[in-house]
Amino acid sequence: MSARLDARLDGTHVALLEEHLATCRACLAQWRRMQALDGLLAAAPMVRAPVRLRVQMMARLERRERTRRAIIGSTTLVLGTVTLALLVLAPAAFNLLSATGIAPALISGGPETLAQLLALLGAIGRTLLVLAERLAVPLALLSLCGLATAAALNSLWIGAVRRLSTAR
Amino acid sequence: MTDETEEIRMAQAGDQSAFGHLVTAYQTPVYNLAYRMLGNAAEAEEAAQEAFLRAYTSLRSYDPQRPLRSWLLSITSHYCIDRLRRRRLTWLSLDDEESVEPERLASDCPDPETVVAQQEREARIQQLLATLSPTDRATVTLRYWYDCSYEEIAETLHLTVSAVKSRLHRARCALAETVEGKMNYAL
Repeated sequence: MSARLDARLDGTHVALLEEHLATCRACLAQWRRMQALDGLLAAAPMVRAPVRLRVQMMARLERRERTRRAIIGSTTLVLGTVTLALLVLAPAAFNLLSATGIAPALISGGPETLAQLLALLGAIGRTLLVLAERLAVPLALLSLCGLATAAALNSLWIGAVRRLSTAR
Repeated sequence: MTDETEEIRMAQAGDQSAFGHLVTAYQTPVYNLAYRMLGNAAEAEEAAQEAFLRAYTSLRSYDPQRPLRSWLLSITSHYCIDRLRRRRLTWLSLDDEESVEPERLASDCPDPETVVAQQEREARIQQLLATLSPTDRATVTLRYWYDCSYEEIAETLHLTVSAVKSRLHRARCALAETVEGKMNYAL
């Protein structure tokens, strides 16, 4: 019956169905119910979208894109700053590790490693304090330079993305 | 290359204005599906917006060989099915829901009696649809309001063609029983 309503039955099956309906009152009643339902649903019109739907959707899209750009920009800024800081501090950290003997102790291992490590951690703490005292101004300047570079790279990146979007 | 194909290509490249044109072209089919599925104008509006946002996000994965309407209806129906399943826990009866009457396409300023009759018929149809499971509801909606073939419904809802036939038959039988039951009750 369902296939008949959708015009998916071939002539043979349509004839068979009609033949059966002519003799079976229960199926005929069911067929009439399904036809009534079919008529009810087929006559129901499409519901028109409200005019504001497009405007509100585009506003949501714009807000979401702004948020996405801000998140990507901030992430780039943080990653840029961290990378620059690592590049600046890596040689100093390597020298510190070598000078204080942490690297050899970690490499060779052994029972006395833990005690050495603790002693060396103390040494690192003391060294960092000395370094902080002596390098406070240069480090602050370096951090500022890192932030400025990351901000510049970030704005260049956003500009490039915008130009590419417009060009396309 | 058709205008729509060009707009899709531009939208895929991030052109929001081109996407806006696609929204204008498809907002009524998407909204109607959401309304038929959810039975509430306010929820349907929110769902249609969300469906378009999801479409924009996954536009790069859209296969241009497939009709855009079918792809958008697929996103909308899946979103509405998920929403209906989540709603089960906090379900309100249709009588309790805010009844915001949506606009209809086939209404050329009819007289008040016709409007009332239309509204009653609409309410009856939505009550009938609400008795179906979310997937059956989507199947019936795609068949009656979008004239989709079994194959198109199967592709849209990620079902097999035989599952579509079976769901459609089962839904029609259930709805026919409900219609008759309501008529007897009314008498």
